[in-house]
Amino acid sequence: MWVARVDEGYVFGDLAPSSVETLKGIPMLIESEDPRVRGRLLPDTCDDEADAAHWREHAVPELERLFLSRAQLVRRDLAGLRKMSKSEHQFLLLPDAHVNAWLAALNAARLALFELNDLKAADMEPENFGALQGKQQEALMRIHLLAEIQSVLLGDFEVESCGPFGDFVPE
Amino acid sequence: MRVRAATKEKTAKQAKPKTALAPPWNVVVHDDPVTLMSYVTKVFVQVFGYAEVKAKQLMMEVHKTGRSVVWTGAREQAEMYAQKLQAHHLLTTLEVVDG
Repeated sequence: MWVARVDEGYVFGDLAPSSVETLKGIPMLIESEDPRVRGRLLPDTCDDEADAAHWREHAVPELERLFLSRAQLVRRDLAGLRKMSKSEHQFLLLPDAHVNAWLAALNAARLALFELNDLKAADMEPENFGALQGKQQEALMRIHLLAEIQSVLLGDFEVESCGPFGDFVPE
Repeated sequence: MRVRAATKEKTAKQAKPKTALAPPWNVVVHDDPVTLMSYVTKVFVQVFGYAEVKAKQLMMEVHKTGRSVVWTGAREQAEMYAQKLQAHHLLTTLEVVDG
């Protein structure tokens, strides 16, 4: 995977089929009804039962609507995935106006993968990778891929600037 | 005259302001092993308008001690902040300040 800066946003290119599959899984992870995912994305906020009920009544429905709307935005951007000119790999434009929504969506997807695969904090350490089950290893690789994209959007890396997206030819 | 004086006294007692204030609430962010540190810092800057230095200090406190009180104040505003932090998927709770 490589990344380039265009006037309209960030272009992620040379996305292998496994990376594309991971990206396409983001909306489904955000929308997951699995109690482990819901428990993490919509956690209990107050110890007192009356306060917790107040939170569930007033805050949770608004958060649910926000998450669904983010999932739809991510799905729309992913519909713009295009094949590279010289390979079956693909590239994707993430517009600047969508960066904050993508950052949150990527975080939600990473948290959901962590919960759904029964990973623990110690499993995030590289030296423990070999002891994990195959499915957990795959989940962890997806978590790291999404973290790389998050890091780019957070400005943690310098990215080459390439002018307007229309003039950009990914090879 | 006596009756009028008594009425005045009663009115004054009724109008006495309440002195018991609602307790403040803490907005607490908890550590999780997945969320990136730079993302936590960005969210603190975005949600509270904190300077980068303060946001990083709070993020490091979360990372090192497992939690940080990131804001304290009136319940309604604390709930609003907690909702914004949860909108970014930071593990957030609310607690009434003791005493």
